[in-house]
Parts: sequence; structure tokens; C-alpha cells
Amino acid sequence: MSFGWLPTFVEMPPSRNKMRARIQRIVGRLLMLAAVCLLGGLLSASLVLFSPGYGVDERELDPRLNQASVEAIRNSHRLNSGLPSYYGHYLAGVLRGDFGSSQWLERPISSLIKERFPVTAKSVLFGVSLAWLVALAISFAGVFFRGLYFDISTTLLSGVFIALPAAVIAIFCVYLRAPVFVAIAVATFPKLFRYLRNLLNHAYSQPYILAARARGISPTRILLHHVFPLTSPALFALLGVSLAVAFGSAIPIEALCDSPGVGQLAWQAALNRDLPLIMNLTLLVMLITVAANMLANIAHERAL
Amino acid sequence: MPSPLKSLTLTTLLALALPVRAQTGGELHFCLHGEPKTFNPILVDDEASEHVRYLTGGVLVRLNRQTQELEPSLATSWNVSRDRRTITFHLRKGIHFSDGTPFRSEDVAYTMRLLMDPETHSPTGDAFRSGEGTIQVQTPTPDVAAITFPAPIAGLERLFDQVAILSARSPKREMAVLGPFYVADYKAGSHVLLHKNPNYWRHDTQGRALPYVGSIRLDIQRNRDIELLRFRRGELQLINRLDAEQFERLQRENPAVTRNAGTGLDAEELWFNQTPTAPLSASKKAWFGMKQFRKAISMAINRGDLCRIVYAGFAKPAYGPVSPSNHFWFNAALEDPKYDPQGALRLLAQAGFRLENDILQDRAGNRVEFTVVTNSGNGAREKIATMIQQDLSEVGIKVNVVTLDFPSLIERITRTFDYDACVLGLVNTDLDPNGQMNVWLSSSENHQWNPSQKTPATAWEAEIDKLMREQASAPTEKERKAKFDRVQQIASEQQPFIYLINKDVLVAVSPSVVGAAPVVLEPWGFWNADTLRLGPAPELGVQK
Amino acid sequence: MNARGLRVISAVVLCAIFAVGLFAGTVSPYPYAKQFRERPNAAPSSTHLLGTDSLGRDLFARLIYGTRVSLLLAPAAALVAALLAGILGGFAGLVGGWCEKSILAATDLSMALPLLFVLLALRALLPLDLSPVLSVISTFTLLGLLGWPSSLRVVLAATKGLRNSDFLLLARATGCSRWRMIVNHLLPNLRPVLFAQFWISIPVFVLAEATLSMLGLGVIEPLPSWGNLLRGLEDISAVSANPWRLAPLVLLILVVICFQMILPAKEETA
Repeated sequence: MSFGWLPTFVEMPPSRNKMRARIQRIVGRLLMLAAVCLLGGLLSASLVLFSPGYGVDERELDPRLNQASVEAIRNSHRLNSGLPSYYGHYLAGVLRGDFGSSQWLERPISSLIKERFPVTAKSVLFGVSLAWLVALAISFAGVFFRGLYFDISTTLLSGVFIALPAAVIAIFCVYLRAPVFVAIAVATFPKLFRYLRNLLNHAYSQPYILAARARGISPTRILLHHVFPLTSPALFALLGVSLAVAFGSAIPIEALCDSPGVGQLAWQAALNRDLPLIMNLTLLVMLITVAANMLANIAHERAL
Repeated sequence: MPSPLKSLTLTTLLALALPVRAQTGGELHFCLHGEPKTFNPILVDDEASEHVRYLTGGVLVRLNRQTQELEPSLATSWNVSRDRRTITFHLRKGIHFSDGTPFRSEDVAYTMRLLMDPETHSPTGDAFRSGEGTIQVQTPTPDVAAITFPAPIAGLERLFDQVAILSARSPKREMAVLGPFYVADYKAGSHVLLHKNPNYWRHDTQGRALPYVGSIRLDIQRNRDIELLRFRRGELQLINRLDAEQFERLQRENPAVTRNAGTGLDAEELWFNQTPTAPLSASKKAWFGMKQFRKAISMAINRGDLCRIVYAGFAKPAYGPVSPSNHFWFNAALEDPKYDPQGALRLLAQAGFRLENDILQDRAGNRVEFTVVTNSGNGAREKIATMIQQDLSEVGIKVNVVTLDFPSLIERITRTFDYDACVLGLVNTDLDPNGQMNVWLSSSENHQWNPSQKTPATAWEAEIDKLMREQASAPTEKERKAKFDRVQQIASEQQPFIYLINKDVLVAVSPSVVGAAPVVLEPWGFWNADTLRLGPAPELGVQK
Repeated sequence: MNARGLRVISAVVLCAIFAVGLFAGTVSPYPYAKQFRERPNAAPSSTHLLGTDSLGRDLFARLIYGTRVSLLLAPAAALVAALLAGILGGFAGLVGGWCEKSILAATDLSMALPLLFVLLALRALLPLDLSPVLSVISTFTLLGLLGWPSSLRVVLAATKGLRNSDFLLLARATGCSRWRMIVNHLLPNLRPVLFAQFWISIPVFVLAEATLSMLGLGVIEPLPSWGNLLRGLEDISAVSANPWRLAPLVLLILVVICFQMILPAKEETA
């Protein structure tokens, strides 16, 4: 007689509950993400609508246009329904895949974003990678070559970079003919470096790691088997934060370097009070920021 | 590789190889300062689109930017009827659009009908709308077109310089063109690539087909500093309208590349808010409504310093709506007021103001203080406002300068009227003052200091209304000039706009471009694009 | 030369710069708005220590007055932001649950909203006849009011850590009211975190004001600020011809480095 099947029968309900709980958690998170993004879109739409200068067009000042043309231009900017129904129409359109069209550029927004997003994504990803590479290199060097002067010089270095306004970084990059992602790397590097250095210093000064080093275990093994598991949640959080910072600094940098990405589009849209475009871009940025933060939170909770 | 990319690569390779060779072919490379919103010539209303239209559109009559005279283009001759309502064009025979479709009078009819469609709202079309009613176009033969307008139009022939003819039957619609180039590739936010039109009708005096260059690459570049950097490196061959500071520096390093075409048509002006419904205090409304106050302000501003410091000398003081380089329409009989702060104080004293402890007060004892708004992002304008601030402080007037972004500024000056004074630029693309009709008519929205008046608020505005209407229907150019001279005189006496400066047209041209002759009329540097050549490219000599 | 010595030097440098900004009237040889129109773009000389700008205004005077604007108002903005972050973060951390989730969501929302656009709009809403000084103060206040999200997460994490601490448990067990707990127990223990955030935010606000002014939306003419002065760098080729125009940038970097040096590194973990 075999009771082999009994243990599996007894074990299944708890694991199914655990999976259900996990699914519930994921669905809850996604719902939260959706709700926050939708709210953000509505908020940004009302911000644009009630901001000074909404609905006016530069072309109204053209003396060559007659009365009827000026009236036609003004009407094209007026919202014919209230804000909630406008937003409702817009959301219905999004579900169909139609993101509306830009008032200022007079082109469909989906094609605009499709053209520009790869440019920004490339600059941001390369920039963040470059910043991480350099930050990691210097931090590890700092761990192994302990010394006050090294500490001071790296503090000075990051201090210099943190002190440069994004605009100045952009100007220098243009002058030195550096590609845009270098500017983004320079903007992201300082904060990243400080946190990373603290994190690594903290990790390497843990007693058991010191003991491992004293015992002569190879540095690679220490890194992979001890330091990395210890710091990984904080590292993921830092990744999320650095992506958000890089994305945020992309707007002035792209605007000043004249790089045809989403950042420049957002800046021009704000200057021109282009309601559909601002709504779409805010939703996009919100999606990315909230998703990044959510991933960071998940990583954090997993560690605890 | 997709086809546009292939042709682009091929063209670039050719362009790199060609400058070493002889004088035709090659790629001219310069910048547009904004995104072209449309390639449909009927709907064009921004500068970038206008430049693309100039290079690709074929027109019936072309205004030669250098001689300022009209030349036959697609029309070999034309005549205007006595009542100035009908114009008849005799068209050139045997011409084809860039895709091979033959050019006939029905294309002219099609273009005019589209232009005058009441649903179309564009500056080009509005210039023809002098009265109610529709136009009639008759095309008795394929090379004669007669257009009749509902009401007489002043300067009718000149307006056709802006009308690029569309093909009525080509499957490519507005992309089939009659000009020297056609749009081969457009990447939004990046560039517009124009290729030579193989069917362009014009030939040079030796019978060679124009244009000489094989293609033009227009990069979309808003940042002027980057543009200058790229010019110095040799990536660009032309900069249209440099800033005065950049021009001065470039001139010191390499005088051969800089060209000053002369005083342009654009003006910077300051005006006071005279709208009766504006939310201003009663004392401010009283000051701004006084002719002596406005004249005194005009006398207290040092225009010479503005030209010298803000524009490095590349500008001239302006006192009226017409630039002195507009030879025919400029009223040379008017006297230029001099910079005279003491005279300004005397004029103000006559109006009841008095200066006490370096503070100017009006009759009721209120301190004279107001705010000047201008748009942010224009460094020259901000400097002008700051210099006016110091000039007026010397007659005891306190001026605050506020810069706003453009939409907020426009809202204040056209909707809420919540401002004291504004410094803005007037862009004149047209020599003919009829283009400024909407600025001078008191009922118009663009009558900036007091727009959309139901009846003229003052006697002088009523007189200007009458004069502007009369000049639009006057039979001869001389009579029109007499009437507009009187308008300029009234403007000088009343100073509704205080004109400040006319800036020079400053262009940079690489030595590898042969035949460039920048002019003061738009498009300034490349008005003769079809006769420009690319020679061997010597070093610019500027390594920055 | 050790870490402590460096910290002392940084503090001394900062105090000196602060003092110069505070007593700008006595230190500066000329008023900041006076245009010497006979000598625009002059090189440094005995009469004009750093030369003049394009309108002929003395750059040394403008630098000193600009220091006053940037350096005295940025801490005010940082204080506002830190206090807001403290209150909101403390509340969220203490109460937890839905309150915490909604405050976090609000934080994400405000970080995603185009900040530049909000400032643009708010700036245009200000009445036109505000004096330049008042407009500067309102710009910094707005920056402070909008600057709390970045500090909030740190405060939240710290509060959550404190929430589970023993002394708070004891306070609750002895029947302490919630408000009393926040004021008497939580806030004093949050003070080091808040102070660290305040200190870190100061250079951030200096830079934010600099970026705003470089885009033309910050301090109004003729009042100088570091951002205003940095606008002169936009034309990069002019700078190589007039290298003294880099002075505001050098000063900015120096001040930010001093701020970084003073704060002990271990208090900065995210």
C-alpha cells in the first residue's frame, strides 16, 4: 500500500493559496498603476487647460490673416465639451490605439512618439549604462585602494558633476561634439556614485565579509556569493531611481542639444500648450516612473 | 535598404565626392529654424514652410529680391484690367511638373479655387480676400488664365509671388512641383531633403538647365549656437540671419564669410496698452492715452545705444512703420526725432508731470511707474527692455521688466489686456503696406494698442482708417503713396507704436558657395538658390 | 590633513561666501543694474574686477548680488521642502496602509508631472507689477512647495524604521495619543534625517533656480542670480574668448562641493 499520494494532496492547497495571493498582489499592483496613471493624465490635462496662455496661438498675431481666419484659429483650440468628457473620449481612443493628434505639429501623436521614443530610449539606456559602469569601477577601486586622498578626489569629482546644471552639461556636450547619452551619463553619475559608494563600503565592512577576506577567499567569490546577494535589493532600487533621474534630465538636455527625442517634444509641447501631446507624454512618463518605482518596491520587499 | 535611405546615402556619397569636381551638382547644406508644418503651399503660414515653398514652388510672377521688381516666371506676361479686379496671365508653354504632368491653365484655376475656398485660412489666401464674393477663373486656352476678383485689390500682381501652383491632375498632389527643387525626403525633427527638379523650366543664359546644385539638405535646427558651431566646422554652408553678436565675432575671425545685406524690414517696437476695458488703474490709462506722454517716452529712449550695444551696430534707429530700405514706401520727408531726455521732460511738464527728487509724478501726485512685458527666449528683446528701463529711470520713470513665455504673453495682449506696455517685433515680409492693413484698421484684432474697436476711439485713428481704405482702392501707385505717407505722418505725431530699431540682415556664406548675394527681402540668403553653385571647398580658416 | 580638517575648511569657505552675499551692499563697488554703456563686454581691469557683461554692467557686482539671491533663498526653499516632506512622510509612515499608499502615489504623480511646465504656468499667473525681489521670493517658494517628492521616500523609510522601534511601542503601550507621539517622539528622532535632506536639497534648489533662469523663466531682470549669470555661457564660443564669464559656474561648483564635504557621507544612504 502506498501513501505516496497523500503528502502531495496535503501540500497542494497551501501552494495554490500562495499563488492566488501572488496573483492578487500583482493584479492589485497593476490596478494601482493604471489608476495612478489615469489620474495623472487627468491632472496634467486640467493643468494645461487652466494654465495661462492655453488656447492662444502665435498665428493670431500675423497681420496678414483676416478676421475670419483668426476666429477659425481660436475655435480650433477651444475644447468643445467639458474636460471630463474630453478625457473620456481620449481614453476611448487610447483603447482603440488612437492617441489623438498634436495641435501644434498637426500630426498623429502615435507616429510622433514612435519616431522619437527610440532616440530617447537609446540615449537614456546608454547614458545610464555608462554612468553605472564608471560608478561601479570607481566604487570598487575605492573599496580596494583605501585612502583619504582617493576618497577626497572622488568626492570632488562627483561634487563637480553634481554642481553642473543640466543646461551647462548639455552645452559642454554640444561643444565637445559628444553624443547626447554622454550628457545624460554625466547628469546621472554623481548621485548614483555617492549612493553606490556608500552601499559598497557598507557591504564590504560587514564583519563576515572582512572575515572572508582575511581568510583569503578570492575577491570574485566574495563579490558573487556574499556582497551581491546582500546588496541586490538596494541595487535594484538604485537602478530604478537612476533610470527615473536620467529620464528626468533628458528633457532639458535634449531641448538644449536639439536631439529629436521625447524630451525635446515635451519641452516644445509645454511651451506651445499642446493639450493632447502633453497628456500623452505625461501618461508615458508616469507609466515609466511608477513602473520603475514599483519594481524597486518589489525588489525591496523581496529582500525583507 | 529602404528607398529614401538609399537615395540619401547615395546623395551623401556623391556630395562628398563632388565638391572636388567642377561647378554643378553637389549638396547645399543649411538649416531651417523650425519644423515645417506643411508642404501644401496653400496652407503655409510659418517661416520654415515658407522657405520650403520658396525652393519648391513655381509661381506665375516672381518678385526679384534683388531689384525688387516683378519678373515673368511661369507666366510670360500679364495684364491687370482698368478696374483692378481681373488679371490675365499668358503662361509659358511646354512646361511639366516634377513628376511629368503637363502644366496648363487649369492648374492655375485649381490652385486659385483651393486658395479662395472659405474653409481655407492662410495668410496667402487672405491677402486676396478684399471683399465678399467668389472669384471667377477663366481658362479659354491651356496657356491663358484670367482671374476675376469680387473687389479691386491693391498691388495685385505682387501677391502672386506667394502663390505656388499645384497640379490639378497629378497623382502626387502637392508633392508635384514646378520649382527648382522637390521634396525627396522628410524626417520630422531632423531634416528635409530636396532634390533637383529635372523638369524645372528655367535655364541660364548659356542654355544649361538650372538649378546648378544637385540637392539641398535642410536640417531642422532651433539652436543658433549649434548652427554657428556647425558652420565653423564646415558642415553647413549658409546661415540665414545670424545674431548680431555671432556676426560680429565671425566677422573678426573671417570677414570673407560674413555678408551684411543691409537694413531689413523688421522692426522692434514698444507700445502702451490703450484698451479702455483693460484692468489698469485710472491714472495709468490717463498717462497712456496722452500723446505727449508717448512722445516723451519716445524721445527719452536712446536708440543709438540700442543699436550699438544690443546689435553691435548692425541696426538702425527706427521711427516709423516702414524701414528706410523700402525705398518706394518710406516717407523720407518726416523728421527723425533726436534722443533728448531734457526735451522729454519739457514735454512731460507740459502734460502736467513734474520731476521731484528724481521721481516723476503726475498731476495727482502718483509716481509714474509701469511694467514692460516681453517674451522670454529672445535675448535681444530682453536687453532692449532692460536698456529702456535705465533710459527711463533718467527721467524719473520706474520701469519693471517682466519676461513671459510666448503663449502667456499673447493671452495678455490679445485676450485679457492685463499689461501696461509691451516690447515685440513686427515682422514685415511684404514691401507693400497693404500687408499691414490689419494693424492700422481700428476694427481689426491686430490693432495692438486697442484692438477690435466698434467705432474709432480717437479722431486720428478714424483718419488712419479712412486713409488705409483709400490707399487700397486708389488708382495709381503715386496716390497710394501719398495716402500712406500721411498715415506715417500721423503715426509719427501720435506714437501709438514707439518704433525702436530696424535690424540688419546678416548672413554667413561659406566660400565654397559661388554666386550668393544676400538681400533684405525674405528668404535673404538663398533667394537665388537655383543659380547658386558649389565650388571647391577651401578651408574656412576658423577652427573652433 | 584629514577628513575633519577638510570639513572645517569647507564650512569656513561657505560662511565667507554667505557673509559676502549678506553684506553685498558694502562689498560691491557698483549697483548691479548700472549700465556702463561706454564699455560693454570689457575685459577685467582695475575698475571692473571681472569685466562687464553685454550691457555694460559690472560682473563682479552682479556676482555678489547674485550670490545673495541664490545662496540666501535656496536654504529657505529647502527648508519648506524638507518640512513638507517631513510632515507628509511622517504621517504616511506612522499611519501606514492606504494613507501611505495614497501619499506614495501622490509623490509619483508629482514627480511625473512636467515640473517645468507647472513652474511656467505658475510664473505666468503672478501679477505683473510684482517687484523683482518679491518675484524671486515667490519663485523659490514655489520651488520649495514642488520639491518635496524627492525627500519624501527617505523620510518615509526612516519613519517606518522608527515605527517599529521599542520606545514608540512603549509610548503606545502607556496610552500616548497619536498627535503627542508624532510631536514629542517621532519628529525629534526624525530630525537628523530631515536635516540631512535639508542640507542635500540646498544645492539642488540652487541648481534648479540656475536651470530655470538659464531657460529664461527664473529671476527677472535686472536682478542677478547665478542662473541669470550662467546664461552668458550659452554662447560657448564667446566663453573661450572671455573666460572670466565662467566665474559664476566656478563659484557654484565650489559652493556645492563645500556642501557635499560638510555632510558626513554615511548619512546619505537612500
